[in-house]
Amino acid sequence: MGKESDTERRAEIVREYGPFPGAPRVNGVSFDGSLVWVAGGEKLQAFEPASGESVRALDVACDAGTAFDGRHLFQIAEGRIQKIDPATGEVLSTIPAPGGGRDSGLAWAEGTLWVGQYLDRKIHQIDPDTGAVLRTIESSRFVTGVTWVAGELWHGTWEGDDAEIRQVDPETGEVLTRLTMPAGTQVSGLESDQGDLFYAGGGGSGRVRAVRKPRRRPGR
Amino acid sequence: MDCAISAAGRALGAGDPLLALKRVALRDDPAALALRGIAMAQLGDLPRARELLRRAAQRFGRHETLARARCLTAEAEVALASRDLAWPPRALTEALRTFAARGDRENAAHARLLQIRRLLLLGRVDEADAARATLDLGAAPARLAAIAALVGFEIALRRGRAEQAREALRRARDAAARSGIGALRAEVEQAGRTLALPAARLLAAGEARSLTLAEVEAVLASPDLVVDGCRRLARREARVVRLSRRPALFALLQGLAEAWPGEARRDALIERAFGARRTNPSHRARLRVGMGRLRRELRPLAGIHATGGGFTLMPREAGTVRLLAPPIESSDAAVLALLADGEAWSTSALALALGSSQRTAQRSLVALVEAGQVRALGRGRAQRWLSAPVAGFATTLLLPASDGLG
Repeated sequence: MGKESDTERRAEIVREYGPFPGAPRVNGVSFDGSLVWVAGGEKLQAFEPASGESVRALDVACDAGTAFDGRHLFQIAEGRIQKIDPATGEVLSTIPAPGGGRDSGLAWAEGTLWVGQYLDRKIHQIDPDTGAVLRTIESSRFVTGVTWVAGELWHGTWEGDDAEIRQVDPETGEVLTRLTMPAGTQVSGLESDQGDLFYAGGGGSGRVRAVRKPRRRPGR
Repeated sequence: MDCAISAAGRALGAGDPLLALKRVALRDDPAALALRGIAMAQLGDLPRARELLRRAAQRFGRHETLARARCLTAEAEVALASRDLAWPPRALTEALRTFAARGDRENAAHARLLQIRRLLLLGRVDEADAARATLDLGAAPARLAAIAALVGFEIALRRGRAEQAREALRRARDAAARSGIGALRAEVEQAGRTLALPAARLLAAGEARSLTLAEVEAVLASPDLVVDGCRRLARREARVVRLSRRPALFALLQGLAEAWPGEARRDALIERAFGARRTNPSHRARLRVGMGRLRRELRPLAGIHATGGGFTLMPREAGTVRLLAPPIESSDAAVLALLADGEAWSTSALALALGSSQRTAQRSLVALVEAGQVRALGRGRAQRWLSAPVAGFATTLLLPASDGLG
């Protein structure tokens, strides 16, 4: 574990958004290239990252992670993953979530979905059409959000009063980088803007925090 | 948090405990235990709720302060609903501190409301009102706004302020409707019925007439000398003489008020105040002493004149005397008033709320059981008391410390 100290640093929070109307807590976050989507329990709502203003809302139950595949939103609700048309809010199809209710984070990458399983400290890679589990990675912490950025797998963790954003090796689950969040903050849901920012859901605070993604160090 | 936990939490917030249970029924992780506990509390199974919440609080790690604080708060609410007034208030204070430090304003408001409701149950109306004045509801959900308004209603009732009570009830009804929680709406309606029920009887010239709380308020606001048998005091507008802790003196005053404008006969007063059917010289001496004491207490409001056969009450400035009697005739009316909330009370909680000893409470309870007005559940430490429904009466004025008039 001593090795981890040189990969551990404080998360740099660039900006805070929210809380958003009608969403007392944030259960998941996603980014569709221009808008950030927030899963707030009863509504999936989108805000503009530049202005912070809520611009859209879809009436969908959203109890955990959210993902975007370039065309559709995916949303975990009641043990299933719903595929949603972001233009209309219509649910196009549904697959079972691998944790059957124990699922938390959701991410899209390379044609597959990645699902965090909160208390079981696992991340599953699943087939987005059938829900079949393709691979499972074990984490050492509760998983509360998953995202892929530039070939790196990151997940949010929130265990007790401690929350972090971690990069893990997608093959072995080894922790490569840890960004520790300030005391008292929570991470529920994680998404990258595919640039140098993460959007992290703030649980019961109802906020979304933009966190700077550290530069990739040379030689890694 | 995962999907099922969020969904269960959402269902609980919307007042749907069965849906919440469906999501987490088979799970034993601490978050699920806590949610199951709250669901059971909403369903009314308080012992099971308490056990689940305790297990959840133990299973959350020492560093999970926020989660533990939420469990403690939920447990405090269950204790309050079980009328377990001995539950340590310090735990709730600590939880409140945690919420404040973490900026969890919703739970902070919830914990604060629990503290205020506990004060009310203990009859500490002034403290409850002062705490309510500093309550910051902020953007709290309608559910909490409704509970806060109900607390305001209860405070107004205990002070006998019908108009304030009506205003608080309007706010409670609005907020309960916004919350969309059926149980809360029902609770507000139930509370509202109190206003239309007889709260006291007005005795005058051998006649008794039932009064609602608003009518009681009007009587108290009149320039007459009012002898209030509900709260055991005499008052004339702002001047109040409290005799709640001097039952013999109050019995004498009641006797005088009943006989007014005529004289109250010595024998009748002795029987009423000392319970003696046959009088002897020592009773007469006690009556003289008691009357002397009452005269001193009552000086700002009325004089007492000795006549050939007894005594006459002489209100100052030649006003009228009116006697308010409790809506139900019982020497243990305060116990009945507490039990009128329909909850199962323990002897110790009743004693705490009455400000009396457990022995005194026990004596009243035994008498009430014999009279068929109260029934006992369980035995020993687990024994609880339930009233046979006191339907048709508003017992608010009989509750301890309902004399926070001012």
